[in-house]
Amino acid sequence: MSEHDTVCKESVYNKLFQTLSPSIYNFIYFKCGNVAQSEDLVQEAFIKLWENCAKVPQAKAKSFLYTVCNNSFLNEVAHQKVVLKFTKKATPHINEQSPQYVLEEKEFEQKLQKALSNLTEAQRTAFLMNRIEGKKYREIAEILEISVKAVEKRMSQALESLRKEIKNI
Amino acid sequence: MNEELLHKYLNNEITEAELKQLKASDSFRDYIQISELTSQMQTPVFNKDNAWKMLSEKTKKQPKVISLFNYKNLLKYAAVLVLIVTGFLYVTNLDTSVSAAIAEKKSFTLPDQSEVVLNAGSEIEYHKNSWKKNRELTLDGEAYFKVAKGKKFDVKTNQGVVSVVGTEFNVQSRGAHFHVTCYEGKVAVAFNDNSVQLSAGDSVIIEDGEIVSQQKVSTLQPGWMFDESSFDNKPLEWVVEELQRQYTVSVSLENVDTNSRFTGAFTHTNLEAALKTICMPLGLKYTINQNGNITIYGAN
Repeated sequence: MSEHDTVCKESVYNKLFQTLSPSIYNFIYFKCGNVAQSEDLVQEAFIKLWENCAKVPQAKAKSFLYTVCNNSFLNEVAHQKVVLKFTKKATPHINEQSPQYVLEEKEFEQKLQKALSNLTEAQRTAFLMNRIEGKKYREIAEILEISVKAVEKRMSQALESLRKEIKNI
Repeated sequence: MNEELLHKYLNNEITEAELKQLKASDSFRDYIQISELTSQMQTPVFNKDNAWKMLSEKTKKQPKVISLFNYKNLLKYAAVLVLIVTGFLYVTNLDTSVSAAIAEKKSFTLPDQSEVVLNAGSEIEYHKNSWKKNRELTLDGEAYFKVAKGKKFDVKTNQGVVSVVGTEFNVQSRGAHFHVTCYEGKVAVAFNDNSVQLSAGDSVIIEDGEIVSQQKVSTLQPGWMFDESSFDNKPLEWVVEELQRQYTVSVSLENVDTNSRFTGAFTHTNLEAALKTICMPLGLKYTINQNGNITIYGAN
């Protein structure tokens, strides 16, 4: 491990925080749907990284953070019932939308939010990492320490149960 | 096929034509709608700057601590602990040994309150922890026992084993000479595949594995308990040996008939008196030099 690699250097540590903290935050939020808890766990994870900065090479920092978060999530949050709330991105609206369409879309959205909360934690995390964060299967597999095939399976299952719940099948 | 295309779509790797093909299926059209709508969502805002500020406060307050208790140190402590524990176990399982030095008598009680008096120059070893299960001790020298009631009680010597049930008795085991006297109760003496039963007042002397004499005693306790060594027709050498055990002196014989035998008793409290009682009946003389060494010599 060369000197410039070490996480103990403030600039390195700060850069890691700037690039990784939003994803880590999302990751926990997908799991527990609680803003305060997600913020706390992000902070905890980065404190742990700082305490162990001599032992964690920069290249391993990302997986270290995800692992720490997952562990503390399992320790304290996993048993709680989750209700996730999302805001909608401001998207350029197509002009000729009928009020009917807008209403239907709104209803659909509400159903979707509820359905997302009812997914299993494993399905939801994988699905939202892909959809909201735009992560590729390979990256998700790496973070969750599962195979790409397993990610595929979780995605398919998530979509299937979302559809079932929204369409009331 | 469609399943594969769905994953391609989700991974953003799908072509226009493929997308068209996928949308042809009802359920997959729903999947795409759900996926698209989800992509437009975002998590509640994460304030990075704020979070960083709070984090830096915490990390500054916590200087990096390199723990003393890394596992190598832990191993050291563990090793020391193991050493202490095994040492402790070893020591507690060792035989307990009591010995009386020259010119010294020692009395003590065994774990079951049996009383033992050790004569000078004698040693007893026994196992403290298993005493309750196994009343057994090893004697080298001479000792008087007052045994508490209970199961078998064995005194092992070089010459043989003395077994008892609730009695008072004396065992003398010096060199090839083995002398057991029973003062109360019953005693069994096993030696050389033989065995003798002694009742109260019986005494047996065994030398080199043979019974030399069996006598009755009238005293209630051996003479040495009252600071007196008594002899019944014993070789002079014997008497001198005993004298050297009871007093810190060294005795040499000059011009003395080594076959002469002595009957009588000498005291343990007064060397001059003891020497006189030994020498006068045999017509011997003695001198004590400056170093305290004693010479006994014949009358001619």
